[in-house]
Order: sequence, then structure tokens, then C-alpha cells
Amino acid sequence: MKLTDLWRTGSSRLLLVYGALFALWCVALIGVIQWDTRRYLSNVVDLKIDHISEYFLKIDRARLPEALAVTESLDLRDVISHGLFDAQGNLIEGNLARIPEGMPLDGKVHALENGVQRVQGHHPVRARGIAVKLPSGELLVFVRDTSVIDTVGAIIDRAVLWGLPLVVIPGLLGALLLSRQPLRRVRAMETAVQPIMRGDLRRRLPVSPRRDELDLLAGIVNSMLDEIERLMGEVKGVCDNIAHDLRTPLTRLRAQLHGLQRETAADDPRSALIEATIADADALLDRFRALLRISELEDLHRRAGFDDFDLAATLRHVVEIYAPLAEDKRVAFALETAEPLPPLRGDPHLVFEAVSNLVDNAIKFTPPQGRVRLRTSLESEGPRIEVIDNGPGIQACDRGAVVQRFYRGAGAQAEAGQGLGLAIVAAIAKLHSFRLEIAECDGGGAKVSLLCWAAEPAVA
Amino acid sequence: MPRALTIEDDTVTAGEIVAELTRRGLAVDWTTNGRDGYERARDGAYDVITLDRMLPELDGLSVVTRLRESGVQTPVLMISALSDVDERVRGLRAGGDDYLTKPFSPDEMAARVEVLLRRPGGGPRETALRVADLEIDLIARVARRGGVELELLPTEFRLLEFLVRQSGQILTRTMIFEAVWGYHFDPGTNVIEVHIGRLRRKIDTPGSVALIRTVRGSGYVLEAH
Repeated sequence: MKLTDLWRTGSSRLLLVYGALFALWCVALIGVIQWDTRRYLSNVVDLKIDHISEYFLKIDRARLPEALAVTESLDLRDVISHGLFDAQGNLIEGNLARIPEGMPLDGKVHALENGVQRVQGHHPVRARGIAVKLPSGELLVFVRDTSVIDTVGAIIDRAVLWGLPLVVIPGLLGALLLSRQPLRRVRAMETAVQPIMRGDLRRRLPVSPRRDELDLLAGIVNSMLDEIERLMGEVKGVCDNIAHDLRTPLTRLRAQLHGLQRETAADDPRSALIEATIADADALLDRFRALLRISELEDLHRRAGFDDFDLAATLRHVVEIYAPLAEDKRVAFALETAEPLPPLRGDPHLVFEAVSNLVDNAIKFTPPQGRVRLRTSLESEGPRIEVIDNGPGIQACDRGAVVQRFYRGAGAQAEAGQGLGLAIVAAIAKLHSFRLEIAECDGGGAKVSLLCWAAEPAVA
Repeated sequence: MPRALTIEDDTVTAGEIVAELTRRGLAVDWTTNGRDGYERARDGAYDVITLDRMLPELDGLSVVTRLRESGVQTPVLMISALSDVDERVRGLRAGGDDYLTKPFSPDEMAARVEVLLRRPGGGPRETALRVADLEIDLIARVARRGGVELELLPTEFRLLEFLVRQSGQILTRTMIFEAVWGYHFDPGTNVIEVHIGRLRRKIDTPGSVALIRTVRGSGYVLEAH
């Protein structure tokens, strides 16, 4: 099963869309959490700065430097910075190097995007701060380092970074695994449908006890097949019954005609008429025989009787049996085999019947002094058997139809025959999965070939 | 009058068989069921049995197997809708003497029954066959007519041997095709006719009595007049 096939299944697509939506939702959720956490932590920081500034505003100006120093010594984590600046902005007391850039001097807490520079610090650090004007005109500034908020944000970001693949990868694997089962069942159906397409209407699609949507579909197809099989059976049954029922009275009729012929003197003018009537009865009987034979071949679903056999030997047999027929008609008939043929899998009797039908037809339609060739060649797919004659040929428009029961091409009307030979060949070819091809050979004439490819393993 | 037993559950087919065999002078008993058929075949003195392959209660294969096991050697013509080669082989292996697939023509069935009726009991194998002044040496594989050796191709010899072995019997095209070439289908009128024609030209030489006769619409028979 190919990966691309798996992705093409409906369940894979549904799971993928669902997975993508799920991942998006996760990202959004974590974004909200991050935003809310940052907001909450900022509020806490702001409140703390507010409290500190309020506390220091209540302290007497003279004691302010001392109080600031105590605060600094108590700030063990070194997160709060402060500075007392004169009206010109020079630092009087504190650990802030200068008034942070762009800081509004309105007594409210603000985020200091450009950071603050401490006296001992190397780099500006991100912070939130407040600047309060003292009645003396001096400026008291408190800032609190906010890197802890950034750290919390980073932790959440990292969680997203690691969490997403942990969700997406098992999700994808799950999708693959889940879509395998339905796909496997569809493949099983595909396999089950092959023999049905080849004409074995007794086969049905597999239905599992789960009764899911695939089973429903298989069930619908199976009931359709039941109906098709019933209809085909009815048509065939009617056809067979007609052939079968008419054969008995016809046989009797012929026996009576023979009786009549025996009682008629050879020089009686009615003798010729009886003779012609017997010939007609024989032709009718032959036709029914062929019809019933086709029907019988179409019923042969079992290929258990198939075996490897020597095709060349079978073809030599055909030649042995048909050479006298060709000779009597003064038609040259020869077997042309260029290379040794591999053993063929099938029923040698049926292959013989098919080839002999082709040869019989070819001899029948080739005029005296003509030529019929039984030729074999080896193609990549398997051996090809060709029967080539230089009779009138089969017109391109007739080629599809000649394999049907009763159809006889325009050139065949003058010849005796049942018009069923090629239908028999077609039935045998179908049973073996051989390809029957009808073409015109170079000098006019018909070229009928059977491509006996190494057929797939026999259907049990 | 030879006696035949027809074991066949399909009334239409059975009717055809009984009518045709009766017409040819046989006394025919008919039963529809395998078990009953087996009992009657074992007890009754029949000369030939036509046996359907698929029967209620006891199928055709079992019937013939049991008959042979209990020592009944009556010739059996198996009649079946199953035409697979292995089905035929199975039928013959079980002890059937001939195998005919449905649908069949009554002529064909009767010709086969008549051949079975005349089948010699298993005596020593013949080394030579003779009809009128036609002799066949089965060991040297040569045939002579009136003492003159005939030049026959191997196929022609096989064909002649079959006709002589069944001399006096009507042999259908299918029977000839089966026996001489080993294929089980009706090859149509022409092929066998051509082969018989060639053989006839070799053995029925001008001035001699014709031995091979065409039975119009049925087949061929080789017999002394």
C-alpha cells in the first residue's frame, strides 16, 4: 500500500483537516493563556511599584536617602531600581544611572520599552516604572525589572514549540493507521470485483459484520449483482431451453427424413429435395449444438482443470487433423513456429477447440489455391497464435460483431457455417483471459490471433 | 431383448433416453434416485446402465464406485452436465465405461449405449482384428485388404482400428473424434468426413466391396455385407 494512496482516502483527509483545526485551536488557546499571564504579572508588578512609590511619598524628604538605601539593601533579588533626580535630571541618590528615556512623568506606572540603565549595569534591562514629582521639584523614580514576565512568556512559547509536534506527529501517524483499514477493505473489494468484471457473476463483494458505510455500499452492489445474475440467467436459460427443446423434435424430423430417403428411389426427382431438406435440418442442428456449446463454455467458471501443457504439441495436432481438409480444398496449410514456446497454462482441449475453430473458418473462407498459415510467435506477454488466410478477410466494421452469437460478416453469407465459430473462440479466450484480435493481413485476408499471455493465477 | 437401467432424476432427459433406447429395441427401467438405482443395478441383471452424475441421495460417482466394489461389471454410461476434463476423468476412474455430457443428442447417446452393449468381456487382448477380407495386425500395426498391405498413416491406422473394433456399430463423429484424437467436442461435419473419405479411398478400393458406410445424419459404420 503506497503512502500517497493512504493520503488519498476520505478518512485521511478528514483526519488531516480535523488535525490542522485542532493544532490551530491549541496555538490560539496557548496564545490567550500567554497573553493573560503576562497581563496578570504586569498588574502585580504595577501594584507593587505603586505601593512603593506611595510609601516613599509619605516619608520626610530629609530621611528619604536613608530609606532608599534600606530598601536597596532589602532588595535581595535586585529587581527594584530607584533614583532621586534633581530638577535638571541629575542623580542625587539611587542606583539608576539616569531618568529612563521616554518615561512619562505623570505619577503612573508605564512599561519602559527602551529599558533602564542602572549605575552598575552593563545593558539596559526591560522594566516597568513610575516617576513621581516631589513638592521640592525633585523627581523620584522607581522601576521594576520585568524579565521574569518575559521568562514566563518564553516558557509558554517553548511549551508550544515542543507541544505542537507532540500533538501533530502522533496525530499524523494515527491518521495513517486509521486510514489503512478502510483502504485495505477497498483493495479487497477491488480484488473481488476483478472476476466479476471478467464475467463470473456468481462472485460477491466482501461484507464485514461491522455494517459500516463500506459494507452498506458493498451490500448495494451485491444486490445489484444478484439482479444482474438473475436476469442473465433468465436470458441464457431461455436461449438454452429453445436450443434444447427444438433439438429433440429436429432430431426426430431428421430421422424421419432419412427414413423417407431410404424409401425413395435414387432416380426419383423428390430424392434431391429430401437431400436438401436433410442438409437444412443438419445445419439447424449444428447451430443449436454450437449455441449450447457456447452456453456450456460460459458456464465453465472453474479453472481448476487448468494445467501447464505443450502448446506446440496441441498446434501440431490441429495441423494433423485439418491438413487433409485443406488439401481436399487445394488450400496450402502449414504450421510456422519460429521459436520454442513456453508451456501454456490452461485447458489444452479448449485451446485445441479454439484454434481448430479458427483454422476451420480460415480453410472455409479461403478460395482454392489459397493459403492458410498457423503461425506462432513469442511476445513479451506470452505466446501469440495467429491464423492467417488469404480469403475475403473480415471488414473492420464487422470485427467487433463477429464474435457475437449468430453474427456473420458480409463475406460469410455465401459460405455454409453457423456463424458461431468465433463466438466459441471468444468464449474460450475469455475463460483463459487470452486476448482475441481480429485484423487484416497485408495481402487482404483475415488475421485472427490469440494472445495467450501468461494469465494471472487461476481463480479458484 | 437387452435390458437397460436409466438412473436419471430429470424427467425430461429420462424421457428422451427411455424413448430412444426403447425405439432401438431395449427394455428400459427407469429410476430417479441414486440409492434405489444402486439397489436395482446390483440385484437386476441389466446389460447396460445410463447413470446421471448428480442424483439425489447417492450421487452418480458413488453409485458406480459401489457397483464396482460389489463386483457388478455392467457397462455404465455416465451422463453429466459437467464437461470439465477432470470431471470426465473422475467419472471414468470411478468405474464408468463412457462419459457423455448434457445436452446430448439421442443418437449420440444411443450409439454409445450400443457400443457398450457389444463391449466384449475382458478376455485376452486380441493381437489381430478381422472384418470380411480386411485384417489388422495390432502388433506389427499393419492392415491388409484381401492380403494386400495397405499404406496407412498412423492416424489412419488408429481410425481404422477403432472402426474395426466397433464393426457393425454406428459411430458418431464425436465418438470417433474422442477415440482417435482424444478431444471431447463435436468437430463439425467436415473434418471427420474428410478423414473417413481418405481412409475409405485406401481400403475400399475399386472392385472390392465397400466396408465403410455413411449413416446419414448419424455417423459411420464399418461392416461386412
